[in-house]
Amino acid sequence: MAFLIVAPHRLNGYFVNLIYITLVYVGLAYGWNIISGYAGYFSFGQITFFGLGAYATGFAINAFHVYWMLAALAGGILACAFAFPLGYVMLRLRGPFFAMGMFGMAQTVRVLITALPATGAGAGLFLPPGSDVTSVYYWTLAVALGAIALTIWIDRSAFGLRLQALREDEQVAGTLAVDVTRDKIAAFALSALIPGLLGGGFIYFLNYIEPDAAFSSRFDLQSIVMAILGGVGTVWGPLIGGVLMTQISEALWAKFPQFYLMLFGGLLVALLILLPHGIVPALKRRYE
Amino acid sequence: MSDDLLVVDDVTIAFGGVVALHGVSLTVRTGEVFCLIGPNGAGKTTLFNVISGLLRPSAGDVRFCGDSILGWPPHRIARAGIARTYQIVRPFSALSVLDNVAVGALAFTSSKREARLQAREIVEFVGLGAQASRRASTLTLTQRKRLEVARALALRPKLLLLDEVMAGLTPTEMDAMAEFILELGARGIGAVCGVEHVMRLVMRISHRIVVLDAGRCIAEGDPKSIQADARVIEAYLGAPVREAL
Amino acid sequence: MTVVQLVVNGLLLGGVFALSALGFNIIYGVMRVVNLAHGDVVVIAAMVCALAFGALGLNPLVLLPVAVAGGFVLGAAIHRLLLRRLPAETASTEASSLTLTFGLSFFLAGGGLALFGGSFRSVPFLTGAFDVGGISIPQAKLLAFALALVLAAALAAFLRFTAAGCAIRATSQHLEGALACGVDIDRVRTLSYGLGTAVAAAAGALMSMIYNLNPQMGVQFTVNAFAVVVIGGLGSYAGCVLGALVLGLANAFTSYFVGASLAEAAPYVLFILVSLLMPSGLLGRRTA
Repeated sequence: MAFLIVAPHRLNGYFVNLIYITLVYVGLAYGWNIISGYAGYFSFGQITFFGLGAYATGFAINAFHVYWMLAALAGGILACAFAFPLGYVMLRLRGPFFAMGMFGMAQTVRVLITALPATGAGAGLFLPPGSDVTSVYYWTLAVALGAIALTIWIDRSAFGLRLQALREDEQVAGTLAVDVTRDKIAAFALSALIPGLLGGGFIYFLNYIEPDAAFSSRFDLQSIVMAILGGVGTVWGPLIGGVLMTQISEALWAKFPQFYLMLFGGLLVALLILLPHGIVPALKRRYE
Repeated sequence: MSDDLLVVDDVTIAFGGVVALHGVSLTVRTGEVFCLIGPNGAGKTTLFNVISGLLRPSAGDVRFCGDSILGWPPHRIARAGIARTYQIVRPFSALSVLDNVAVGALAFTSSKREARLQAREIVEFVGLGAQASRRASTLTLTQRKRLEVARALALRPKLLLLDEVMAGLTPTEMDAMAEFILELGARGIGAVCGVEHVMRLVMRISHRIVVLDAGRCIAEGDPKSIQADARVIEAYLGAPVREAL
Repeated sequence: MTVVQLVVNGLLLGGVFALSALGFNIIYGVMRVVNLAHGDVVVIAAMVCALAFGALGLNPLVLLPVAVAGGFVLGAAIHRLLLRRLPAETASTEASSLTLTFGLSFFLAGGGLALFGGSFRSVPFLTGAFDVGGISIPQAKLLAFALALVLAAALAAFLRFTAAGCAIRATSQHLEGALACGVDIDRVRTLSYGLGTAVAAAAGALMSMIYNLNPQMGVQFTVNAFAVVVIGGLGSYAGCVLGALVLGLANAFTSYFVGASLAEAAPYVLFILVSLLMPSGLLGRRTA
């Protein structure tokens, strides 16, 4: 912990960047884990909220010249607020329909933003030059820690138990007095807040964002791989999976950029077959 | 009538062209054991689904404690005091037995710890104390049946809908279940039991009986009059018995 | 006249969509697996055809049987080596098979990108057009449409008149019933996955004559097939053809009226809308 706090002042840029990227992925994996791990609604499009957060932040900085963290906070809240009506509609879909529906949602928003001149269209949205990497680092660290704290709370709370119940059998949960619609929308909104907040940091970090990067399904693939590696629906799974996987991912990217997607897809397939429950449940079983 | 707990009033429901329930009416009073008997496919489960809010009838009304509950979402009906079990047991497989029951207890508390405390009592009561921390997926069928009942009890229901609770039980277990159902009345809980056969037990525990056949009520009354009803005999045996003899 | 032209374009396109969607539907029907790698097979087959035409002068008609055979082997291998090895105790089998094909999709798309590069390819074969009363009917599209219908009819005949086809239909209608009748479910699944993938490859070979494709477009064909199957009703083969014609028309009209860049979102939007509005499809079986 202390290491993470002093890191930006002690380490060189490469390692700070690596920790930053790790924190982003860990955060994304935690966000995904709420709606998909706890509530059981596998989403292939949570990146929608990351992109929205990024664009809203960029827009706010350019239009109102506010301090970037305020803009990013607004971006996160906007993504979260958007999740309520979206969840009300999309969470009527189940299983593969929801998963692909969310994938389609991310692509649709990407296409819309590409078509809008106000967002810089396909060329991307640029911020005024000069960003303070250290502040992005702390912002992302805070969001990732917040995501972990939120997950710990969910895991211990009545809300979390209701989510697990509706994950197992939504109809039965309903007849056991669980307000399934309200609870799953709440889970969806929390699951949107985290990527929304991270997206704001991301655009400030890069000083720039383009639709293909902001709504890349690659991010979804990676957060899913991370959550599955660590353990879907567990408190520490996304952390362990996220930290491990980011290192593997960065190494792959550095060594085999042209095979990167292929290897990552293959990794997901292999994981599902060889370690379907992930590291955390496997360790739990061993020590029980 | 103030002690009418549940009134099902002329309920009709159709799927596509198939009429699953056709003008079904019945009244359950507080503390009463009401048995719904009928052959497979008679519409017992459909009626339970209508009462618990999973299906909306195309005509008719369902009233509980005087209020029409038609169109209420299932969780609101459950909170109002109607609990149910499922014919094909549906435990939350990945959760512990205790947590399965605690979900129901959350209707009255927002504390998971408090819900677990309440669940502990109920789990002991239905005889699953030794299995409390095991995953529900590891239970045997009989244990799962008990878990269904335990979850429903955690809602502190005024009315308990038991869908085929006897199915798959051994004769000894059936007797135990019958005792349990009779005890509900003593606690002031009304019970509606859907039962396909096991007439011996139905006759012993019921205050009143409705016979469903192909979505219609074909007879209603106390156990004695049902036993004597020619239409009931026909629905069960398929042919006029006396002629066959 | 434009409208008539658009209808003709839409219907011709719909024929090839129908073929692709039939493959998707067989796999879903028998295995309850939403095969997210489906479109990637379509695109890879098209890439191979384009390369073979360029390098060896082989036209897609010659390659069609090769595509079918290759697709079958690939699909059967995917089932034998991957899907079948998913651990049975994974509670949510639907989620794990879905996630597996999601990974597979990235594997294939990434592999395609590494092998073929990102450029668009097609087969310049039969580039002329018939003129029927002012309506232009491109020869390649007509041929692709006709071949798609022939293949779809052959597939229907196979399913109806052969013992293996009968086993496939029985399994998709009632798993336990088929088991009780002594159907070797495992073999039927391998066969179906092989067949579905073979059909996807055939659709790809036809697609190469009428579309400019690159390896990253697979997901669009997956969503197309999924949308067609949802429109037609899961498990209904007649609905599948009907749904494909509807989608072909929608595609032709949106790309004409909203322009190609926004039309990219059309399959996604359509998928979300039909999933929400008609969950049992046009001709689907209703379940109580």
